[in-house]
Amino acid sequence: MRSLLLLLLAFTAWAQLTPERLLKSDAEPHNWTTYSGSYRGWRHSLLDQVNRTTVDKLKVAWVYQMPVTERIETTPLVVDGVMYLSEPPSNVVALDAATGRPYWRYRRSLPEKINVCCGQVNRGVAVVGDRVFIGTVDAHLVALHAKTGAVLWDVPVAEAKNGYSLTGAPLIVKDMVITGVAGGEYGIRGFLDAYDLKTGQRRWRFWTIPEPGQPGSQTWSGDAWKHGGGPTWVTGAYDPEQNLIIWGVGNPSPDWNGDVRPGDNLYSDSAIALDADTGKLKWHYQFVPHDVHDWDAVQVPVLVDGEWQGKPRKLVYWAHRGGFFYVLDRTTGEFLLGKAFATQTWNAGFTAQGRPIRKPNIDPSPEGTYLWPGVQGATNWYSPSYSPQTGLFYLTAWENKGLYRKGDAEYIPGNRFIGSVPEIDLPEEPGWGAIRALNPKTGERVWEHKMHTKPWSGVLTTAGKVLFGSTGGWISREKIAMESYFFALDAENGKELWRINLGGTMASNPMTYSVNGKQMIVMPAGSGIFAFSLP
Amino acid sequence: MYDVACETSQKDIRVSIYTVVWLLATSALAQNASLRNPHTTTADVAAGARIYRSHCADCHGMTGQGGKGPDLTTGVFFHGSSDAALLKNVSDGIEGTAMPGQFFSADQIWQVIAYVRTLATKGSAKPPEGNATRGGMLFASRGCANCHLVRGTGGVSGPDLSYIGSQRPTEQLRRAILEPNALVDPAYWQADIVLENGTPYRGVLLNEDTYYVQLLHPANGLLTLPKRDFRRYVVQKTSAMPSYQGKLQEAELQDLVAYLWSLQRPRRVE
Repeated sequence: MRSLLLLLLAFTAWAQLTPERLLKSDAEPHNWTTYSGSYRGWRHSLLDQVNRTTVDKLKVAWVYQMPVTERIETTPLVVDGVMYLSEPPSNVVALDAATGRPYWRYRRSLPEKINVCCGQVNRGVAVVGDRVFIGTVDAHLVALHAKTGAVLWDVPVAEAKNGYSLTGAPLIVKDMVITGVAGGEYGIRGFLDAYDLKTGQRRWRFWTIPEPGQPGSQTWSGDAWKHGGGPTWVTGAYDPEQNLIIWGVGNPSPDWNGDVRPGDNLYSDSAIALDADTGKLKWHYQFVPHDVHDWDAVQVPVLVDGEWQGKPRKLVYWAHRGGFFYVLDRTTGEFLLGKAFATQTWNAGFTAQGRPIRKPNIDPSPEGTYLWPGVQGATNWYSPSYSPQTGLFYLTAWENKGLYRKGDAEYIPGNRFIGSVPEIDLPEEPGWGAIRALNPKTGERVWEHKMHTKPWSGVLTTAGKVLFGSTGGWISREKIAMESYFFALDAENGKELWRINLGGTMASNPMTYSVNGKQMIVMPAGSGIFAFSLP
Repeated sequence: MYDVACETSQKDIRVSIYTVVWLLATSALAQNASLRNPHTTTADVAAGARIYRSHCADCHGMTGQGGKGPDLTTGVFFHGSSDAALLKNVSDGIEGTAMPGQFFSADQIWQVIAYVRTLATKGSAKPPEGNATRGGMLFASRGCANCHLVRGTGGVSGPDLSYIGSQRPTEQLRRAILEPNALVDPAYWQADIVLENGTPYRGVLLNEDTYYVQLLHPANGLLTLPKRDFRRYVVQKTSAMPSYQGKLQEAELQDLVAYLWSLQRPRRVE
């Protein structure tokens, strides 16, 4: 009897997803344990059952339909046969990863008024041990029991009535759960938080907008820092060797009228690297000083130990909304490369320190200023991917210009604090999208897969040398119709290998896992989670 | 569904009646038609215009002509035309639509409303000269109905004109008859396609994606054609409608415009 108990205990210990297991995600490619599949932010899987030869035989294995109408932006996680995913606005479901049948659902009751700029969305959960974590649109962080969905703790992260919300997937680092906030269109003062995953007590907070007297505060004037924006709504990466959390910071507030906030406005539009134990800033790189175009740096950092000019170096690859692919030194934040990956008309180059040189007459104006890229950028929050097999960096890119207007901006708590509503889709020039593969050593394009419309979803690569991506943008000419193809490309040359029309908005990222010996490819579309496998 | 009313006592019914009366009273307050815009001076209108241009024009057009959002030049609003309804909808946004809220203080929103009211005077409030009945007969006899649907009758290769009087000012109606290419609704752009095998197709471009073009073809109806088979593909941003310049007497033109103007959307009772 005692040995049976020990065996059970051993099994339980094995079955638990420990923080140590999260560090070694390569050892368990059948699982997908963090938002980007690993701490490195690669969105790359070592599974290869679905490969260039077999991918055209993919069939729908199951569909899970959410009883919701909001846009799905979630990346599901899979741990040992159980899938955990968020449903908009702030619900969580656990499913059998083999059949798509739900085990339990956590439904969050929300206040009537929610202050979100762009939909009551959620990008995913975090899992560790027997816990599942979700950030909610009413700005709470909630820990649930992974077996039942029971609430273990529920802590307020910020005041929702002042425009804070949580939409990004949390990230587990050691014994902490890390979460960012949204609210850059509501004049929040942004931050990144770490909570004790057992108790929900806050360990540290890094304010992305420094208060007077703190380093970086000289880049603000007056009281503008109080409502300076700098949200952190996309999950970052973790470098365990250097114990660094690397995260992206969003736009300064108000978005399109910078008159009230002269200065560079640190750390808006920046990559920040924080000591994981203390939350202290180790380095930063600001992609756009004094941004007036809403070009958030809320992208997934891609961490690669690679060669730089013949020498091994710890690097960060970053495709930013403003249209440039960057390579930064991961130890110091030093700027190594900035190369346009899409059409842009705002940047005339970089100084030796990596500060962008702005072209003249690019600011928003009352009558409107045309500029490439448009407000939604040349890429956005959806994930890029890096494949160690091809050595290429992949991303979803937009070729588009926008009309930037400038108007009044007055801070009223809970109201939008933005300065205008720019024109995103120009009727005569709606723009188009592409999947692009870049050589990260140079930023040069290796291939592209063009699309008629501008997609809203990221990419996944696998050891089968396949890239999964999708269309899913709005069709031009105000037709209010979408194209919604989910497709597979050859990761080496971009050749299309397979596609299916899923018929609904795709504003998420593909992921993959394996259950009962079958590799599953997952893509949310419309209200459904679609899982594909070979017959 | 379990019927709760079966268990309701008389006292409950009395309470319910009071509740209904109270709800009606408060609802009347909410819909208060007597609520009037307190900010209507020239300066208010100018301030409202500035906000309108930076925050509203993207969807409703620089002159309120509409685009992604509805036309604001008619003075009739789908979700209520009273000052109270406009204040609520501009302040809070409109649930289930792309209309956002939460931008400005009430004073500033009143200024925007004051400006939006000035846009409506450019609309079609005044009936045009001309005889609508005669215009209706011309509409049937001069080929208009071959392409245009009016309340269930007519063709479908041109825009549905069932409520065109609420959607376009008189001058635009007149101009559209004489110069169809002056203002072409992109929803009626023409796809001009020749397949690799030489087969030509020309029709209303309904949709285009990465792989296919969909069109409404005058003879073949709804078609989906694969782009990989195209030899030629041009989107004609001009109208398929012939100009009636010189084909109608001035009096006939006025009658036709009067008929089109008479096609008004029924107003909501507020």
